[in-house]
Order: sequence, then C-alpha cells, then structure tokens
Amino acid sequence: MTEKVKLLSHVEAINWNRIQDDKDVDVWNRLVNNFWLPEKIPLSNDVQSWATLTPDEQQLTMRVFTGLTLLDTIQGTVGAVSLIPDAITPHEEAVYTNIAFMESVHAKSYSSIFSTLASTKEIDEAFRWSTENVNLQKKAQIVMDYYQGDDPLKRKVASTLLESFLFYSGFYLPMYWSSRAKLTNTADLIRLIIRDEAVHGYYIGYKFQKGLEGLSEERKQEIKDYTFELLFELYENEVQYTHDLYDSVGLAEDVKKFLHYNANKALMNLGYEAMFPASVTDVNPAILSALSPNADENHDFFSGSGSSYVIGKAVNTEDDDWDF
Amino acid sequence: MDTTVADTEVTRAEGQGTRAGAAVEKPEMPAAYKGLGYHELNAMLNLYGPNGEIQFEADREAAHQYFLQHVNNNTVFFHDLEEKLDYLVKNQYYERETLDQYTMNFIRELYNRAYKKKFRFETFLGAFKFYTSYTLKTFDGNRFLERYEDRVCMVALHLARGDEKLALQMVDEIIEGRFQPATPTFLNAGKKQRGELVSCFLLRIEDNMESIGRSINSALQLSKRGGGVAFALTNIREVGAPIKQIENQSSGVIPVMKLLEDSFSYANQLGARQGAGAVYLHAHHPDIYRFLDTKRENADEKIRIKTLSLGVVIPDITFELAKKDEDMYLFSPYDVERVYGMPFSDVSVTEKYYEMVDDSRIKKTKIKAREFFQTLAEIQFESGYPYIMFEDTVNRENPIDGKIIMSNLCSEILQVSQPTTYHDDLSYDQTGKDISCNLGSLNIAKAMDSPDFGLTIETAIRSLSAVSDMSNITSVPSIARGNDQSHAIGLGQMNLHGYLARERVHYGSEEGLDFTNIYFYSVVYHAVRASNLLSIQTGQTFGGFEKSKYASGEFFDKYTDQEWVPQTEKVAELFKNIHIPTQDDWRELKASVMEHGIYNQNLQAVPPTGSISYINNSTSSIHPVASKIEIRKEGKLGRVYYPAPYLTNDNLEYYQDAYELGYEKVIDTYAAATQHVDQGLSLTLFFKDTATTRDINRAQIYAWKKGIKTIYYIRLRQLALEGTEVDNCVSCML
Repeated sequence: MTEKVKLLSHVEAINWNRIQDDKDVDVWNRLVNNFWLPEKIPLSNDVQSWATLTPDEQQLTMRVFTGLTLLDTIQGTVGAVSLIPDAITPHEEAVYTNIAFMESVHAKSYSSIFSTLASTKEIDEAFRWSTENVNLQKKAQIVMDYYQGDDPLKRKVASTLLESFLFYSGFYLPMYWSSRAKLTNTADLIRLIIRDEAVHGYYIGYKFQKGLEGLSEERKQEIKDYTFELLFELYENEVQYTHDLYDSVGLAEDVKKFLHYNANKALMNLGYEAMFPASVTDVNPAILSALSPNADENHDFFSGSGSSYVIGKAVNTEDDDWDF
Repeated sequence: MDTTVADTEVTRAEGQGTRAGAAVEKPEMPAAYKGLGYHELNAMLNLYGPNGEIQFEADREAAHQYFLQHVNNNTVFFHDLEEKLDYLVKNQYYERETLDQYTMNFIRELYNRAYKKKFRFETFLGAFKFYTSYTLKTFDGNRFLERYEDRVCMVALHLARGDEKLALQMVDEIIEGRFQPATPTFLNAGKKQRGELVSCFLLRIEDNMESIGRSINSALQLSKRGGGVAFALTNIREVGAPIKQIENQSSGVIPVMKLLEDSFSYANQLGARQGAGAVYLHAHHPDIYRFLDTKRENADEKIRIKTLSLGVVIPDITFELAKKDEDMYLFSPYDVERVYGMPFSDVSVTEKYYEMVDDSRIKKTKIKAREFFQTLAEIQFESGYPYIMFEDTVNRENPIDGKIIMSNLCSEILQVSQPTTYHDDLSYDQTGKDISCNLGSLNIAKAMDSPDFGLTIETAIRSLSAVSDMSNITSVPSIARGNDQSHAIGLGQMNLHGYLARERVHYGSEEGLDFTNIYFYSVVYHAVRASNLLSIQTGQTFGGFEKSKYASGEFFDKYTDQEWVPQTEKVAELFKNIHIPTQDDWRELKASVMEHGIYNQNLQAVPPTGSISYINNSTSSIHPVASKIEIRKEGKLGRVYYPAPYLTNDNLEYYQDAYELGYEKVIDTYAAATQHVDQGLSLTLFFKDTATTRDINRAQIYAWKKGIKTIYYIRLRQLALEGTEVDNCVSCML
C-alpha cells in the first residue's frame, strides 16, 4: 500500500446546473436521501438475542463482520477514491466522494455492532483472525492490486465486483439471522448498508458500460475476458473463504448458491450475461426475499427503528395550502 | 367427555394436514416446496411463482410445516383436560383462583365447545406469532403448554369471573374471530406468572421534582407490568427557566426524556414485551424544537432519543397563525402556571393566546408558525415521529367533563386527567387522576357475519369492562384512582380493508366511506347500550357521569335529530341482516342513559392492531394494507411475510396499498369513523419517498380540517433505484 493512489491533476468547479448525465443527479439524490449514521439503530436491543447464539455462531458472526469491515475500509479509503480520476463527468467525481464517505460510515458501523455485542477481547480476536485468514487477505490483495493498476475500466470492474459480489458472502449471515428472529436490529443496519451497496454497484457498473461505449471490439473483448477471469479468480477464492467461515454451522452450501446469484447480478451491472445457470442460483427464498433493497418493511416501531426512513425534501407550504 | 378432549389432543399429533388452513384433505405438495423449511416457504410469498402468480399455497404449506417441524414436537402431551389443568395449576402456570370459580363439568363443556370450532390459523405469521409470543410455555421457554383453544378458554374463564353464560359467549366471540382482546389481556389472562391485562397508561408530569421523580418510578413500575406508558411533559419548565427565582437554572424537558427512555429500556414485561413509552409536548412549549431535534438523523448522542416515542399537541391557534404566515409565540410554562394558577397544559392556548402574548409577566419566545410545521414534517420524514394530537378538536368532541391534554403510545386514547400533588417526603397530598385503558378489537368482517351483531358488541364491552374491574395498580395510585372512577375501555376495530375487499368494495370509495360511517354508527349505539346495561346491573356509573354530555343528553342530539342510513345500495345490501339503529332506538337509549347512566367513562378507541391482527387474520385497524404481501419485521419474529386477508390472485385490484391510495382516502375513511368514536383512532399516514415536507403538511392540514383527532406515524416507502431491485419480488412491484 505504499504506492500512491492517483489524484486528479486538474480540478474544475462542479456546476450542478449543467448536467451531462442525468444518472449522476439521480444517484447523487438517492445517496444523499439515504444518508444515515449507525447511531440511529438501537443495536443494544440485540444484546439479549446475541446471548442466544452458540459460541460457534457468535464467532462466525464476528468474523463475518471483520471481513466486511476490511472490504468497506478498502472501498472507502482506496476503491471509490481511485475511481475519481477516471470520472467522465465532474458530477461523477462528486458521487464517488459520497460513495467513499458512506463506505467509511459502513466500516465504522461494524465497530458499533462489535462494541455493543462483544467484549474487547473477542473483538481483538476476530480482527486477528481477519488479518490471518489467507483467503480474506487474498481477496483484499486481488482487489487492491487492480485499484492500483493503470486501466480505468479494469478498476471499475474490480470495484463493481467488490460492491456487488464480494460483500455478499458476509451479508448472507445477518439476513439469515433476521429471518430467524435473531439480531434483528443488526439486520436493520445491514439492510441500510445493502441499500447503499446496491446503488454503488449499480452506478459504478453503469459508468463502466458508459466507458465501454465507442471502444473497438477488440478492446471490448479484452475487457470482457478480463472481467470473467477476475470474477472466476475471486469466485474460487470466495468459495474457500465461505468454507472457512460457514462450515462450522453447516451453511456453506447455501451461501455458495448466494455467491452464484450475486456473481450474476454483478455481471448484469456490468452489462454482461450470467455466468452461473439457474440450477445453482436457487437461493434460499428467505434470503432472497430479504435482499430486496426496497425500503418497505412494515416494522414494529417498539422493537426497532426500521430501515425505511430517509432525509426528506423540504418544501415551503404556500398560502393555498392553508386554505381553510 | 374426557375422551373428546383427549381425542383432539391426539389428533393434533397426527392430523395436522388441515392445520394450515383452507383445504380439508391434505393438498399435494408441489415439488418446488419439498425440503424447504417453514421460513423459506413463507418467504416464497414474496417471490412470484413460475406463472407470475402470488404463491399463497407456499404460505399455507409453511404454516403446515411449522406445526409438523416445530409445534407438535415441542408441545407437552396430556391425556386429558383434568390432568392438564391439574398439572398447570400445581406447577404455578395457571391461577387456581381462575378455575375455582367454575365446576369441572362446566370447564369441560367450555373446552369442548372451543375445540369443536376447529380453529385453524390462516397464515404462517398468525401461527408463528401466536406460538412465539402468546402461548404458555414451560418455564425454560422450550415447550408449549397451550394451543390456541386453551388460551381462548383461559381468557374467557378469567374475564367472566364465574359467570358461565358470559364465559361461553366470550369463547364463541373470540374463537370465531369476531372479538380479539388486546395483547396484554390475551397474553396474560389466567396465567400465574404474568403482567397486567391493561394495554396502556397515560400520566401527567407536573412542574416539580417530586412529580418528575414519581414519574420515573411509575415508568419502571408500569413497564414492568406491561403496556405502553405515555407522559405529558407540557408542564415542565423550559431550558433556562428560573428555579427558586434564580434565572437560567432549569435544563428543560430533554433530560427528563433521557431518564424516561432509560427507565423503559430497563423494565420489560418478563421479556414478553419491550418496555415502550411516549412523551407529549405542547407545540407552544419553548423547548418544542429541542424536543423534535432529538429525532434528527445527525443528533448528538447526548440528546438523541432512540426508542422513546414523541407526540406533539397542536391547538387550532397554531393553524390560524400558520394560515396568516405569522410568528407563533411559545410560552414559559413556569410563568403561565403562576399567572393562571393552573398547570400550562390545563390552559387553553387557543383561547388565551393573545392574552398571554400581551401579558408581560409571561416570558416568551417566537418562531415562525409555518416553519414549525415544516420542521415537524422534516422530522417525520427522518424518523416517522412525532405523533400529533389536535388539542381543540379532541376537546370539542369530548363528552366528559374536564380537559384532555395528551394521548398515548398509539395515539388512540383520549381521556381527561387531574394533577397529583405531593408532600415533601414524596407521599401523596392530593391523588389526581391518571389514565389507563383496556383495549380489544372487533374483526369487522367477522362482526358483519355475526349471528347477533348487538350481542357481539355487548360481549366485547363486558370483557373489556371486566379487565377494568379486575385491575388495581396500587404501585401508581393516580392510575388506580383513575381506573376506579372511570372504568374506561377502548373497543377497537380491525380488518376494514380486508372486509371491503372481500365484498369487492374499494377502500376510500363512496361505498367504502358509506360503509365505514354506518358501521361505526351501529357500533356506537350498541356500545353505549351495553354500558347502560352494565350500569343498570351494577347500579354504578362512572365517576363524574352527572357532568357528562351523556347525562345532559347532549351526546345523543346528533343521533336523535338526524337520520343515519346507508347512502348507497351496496351498503344497504351489506347490512340487510343487521339492524341499523333508528332515531327511535336512540331516543329510547337516551332516556335510559339519562336515567341509569353508563358504566364506562370511555367506550371506544381504535388502536393500530399490530400483533393481534396477524393472529386474527385481519388487516390492521381501519388502515389500508401497507402492501399486498406485507413484510413484517419485529424483534421477536424477525422478517416474516403476511398475505392480506382474503387476497387471492383474482381480486388483487381491491388491495391497492396505502402508499398508492394517497392520504385523502385514508383521512376520509377515518373522518367517517371518527364522528362516532368518543376517543381516538390511530391514523398512520403513508408516503412515497418522492413526497416532500409540503405534502406531509398538506395532509396534516387536511386531517385537521376533516376533524381528525390524532395522527400516529408517518410511514415512508422507498423503492429500490431502478436497476438495483431483486427480480421477481412481489413487494417490489406495483
């Protein structure tokens, strides 16, 4: 990590009144409306539920979240930032800075979960595991390498795969717990993260497709081959990582289907066809239903704050409105 | 007789084929469902089937599998009823006193009657909710000791207090699904280790340390016993107000909120219900912005309020000021109390507004009235809070002598209160009147199918009154005194949308509004009639009856002076088997009430009905559905999917959801009901995330104009950004 992340050499004032790509505004607005901080979730309501997990399950949960912390840290401090110099429009740059910031919020949220549920010793042990787990470190290294490479399109591919694919081996667990009435407030928080990541992956994938436009067939083929190669490399590693994590509770096979599903989703975001056939993407319906980034849960206010509130658009009332 | 019960018990182990619901013979399980657990099957409700249809069958299979995989294996087996009751009493699960009021023969008869009804849960969530949260479990929490019929019988035996006829009636009403007691009653009745049967409590806090200290204590005591607790903070002096005449001393309402929030988190009802509380503040209290800011997304940790619910009391004058786009003055409660010799909450701000503005003894600050409403809407966008109580509407419609200064955790309770005063040693000087309320709801669809509509309501009123009679919360004397004097109850309603859809009527349509009006009109008649009967039987009225609009007859004017009949053919048709009270009926009732009185100070309140409507297979309250397939999230359930009652792949058009319907239809429906309800109705407003604060403000103005009494949550729905949604998901598409 000693190499420098490339920075823009020239900056112009961003004029939001001259929009080149409407998607920039849509996504910016969506991200801003979706702004949140972990403090809003009453995580401490999960303390009782945490105590009902077996030691294996607790350890798994801690490890999953340290893994996610690492990915969010990469994406916040390197990934999203490294995309800025490649931006096609100035507004795209602004969106990346928002993405980078929210990734840092995500990384910090996991710490909120840890400090609420576990002791310092357990937290330290989980972080130690994350630095020692070969597959997790390898995954981080692969992505980091591409972020530092020279090809802007390849950086976007790596970024999309991270946002739309690599996170999900971890996201599986809180969704699973929530369908079984465990750690439901933690799940609320993770749903907020998923809500963000879904938009991030989609947007970066979209910008990637924009970048492909007008390139030679040869170059397009090169990028496509590269994408599938990288995905496969990540996938192989991800399978190992999944076994490391989930074998202890017997969920590895189920998580693998989920990996397939999300790999296809990542490819879709990049504009490519699916890699895995439907026969191996039949994700557990409880997980698939929970995955929807819609904010439409009819939650019980007395046991949680829900994940559907957003920052509203303030508009003054007019005299007509007060006609009575 | 024993064998019948034993048979049923045994059939339970084998004959689960029909448990899930509709079909009598066990349906062939589609191959797609094989090997799936009940959570997975339930989740398939939210994923379209191969032909684009909603997979209701998967949910039925989920309920079926839930019994096969979980409930049956974990239910304690007894050979017969006597063995079972004996065991439960001996082992401190059931209250002996409850059963001792009856002969064993009668109890057997009652259980047989219940079991013969062949009750079946219609949905997975109904069964899951019941077995997760209501049924009696062994003390280690691992095994079930009751099934649905057992719970119903114990509730009836407990509430009927030895009256066999009433017990039988209650069993009929509850098990047929017409009447459903609220959670605290249904959960607790008859159990030995239990919380209170009462749903909710409302308390005043006065502007002194004794009252604040007592309130914290009440929060702990009442939370421990279950039920939501609400406090009025309006009388507490604002930030910077003097203490012992020294200026800039008080720290205002926020620290009191913090104390209350922590108290509620600490105490919960044997883990069954999380302690939950609300606080109400008057819009013209100087701390109003501080109060609202506690729910801001970026509020500092020191002032952020996470789990406490907020409500704001808004008088008419605030609307008038906003209309004229003027400033609104906020008044120091400390000064107001000194000037008027009564707590701020008891002064009518609308009436005294300009007088107070001109009074130099009252310290005041000002904010822009429209800005206030906009801030309200901003916070509602971010958090769903605060609730709103329209102070003057509420008090105009109040038939009881006194002032209503607050509502409760669900914004449907609206009753008068009196302040309490304390001695220096914290003992009671004058015990005031605080508020408690016992709730239960009718399932509108089932009530309309009732063989005797009037009896259904009468039985419900008797059940609810029993809860009031049996409650005596000595740890909070002002609550005990209030209950003792008022016998207040709140009969609610649910499944309006389900019923309308079943009858192919659109929610909020002309026919829908017509039905709502005539239904609530009929209910209020029978409710008052039942309360009058109770008065005649017991020779008692509620305290203060003489000063009420019931005693003066004024309450009855709108029913005797004008004829209430269906305006549409459809609604006349729906009521063809139910007698709609006539003006003469009302005249007769009026005479009897003026002579004998009524037993209950308050009769109706329409709660939001979360949990019980799932068990009862109803849509919540009189709201439209939040979604055809509702995604329900609760701490104890996790994420579960619930199909709207009576929904099929053929009648989808009648299930337009609350976000699509828009606020006018919801408010119009509530307005039609409100005119017949003495207390309030929890009214949630639903907005898409594309709405602005102006839309929310408009809805509030519209609601106020239409005579709505309170507004409960603002709920928002944000659909996934196009391109990021999960394919094939029912709740994702419209």
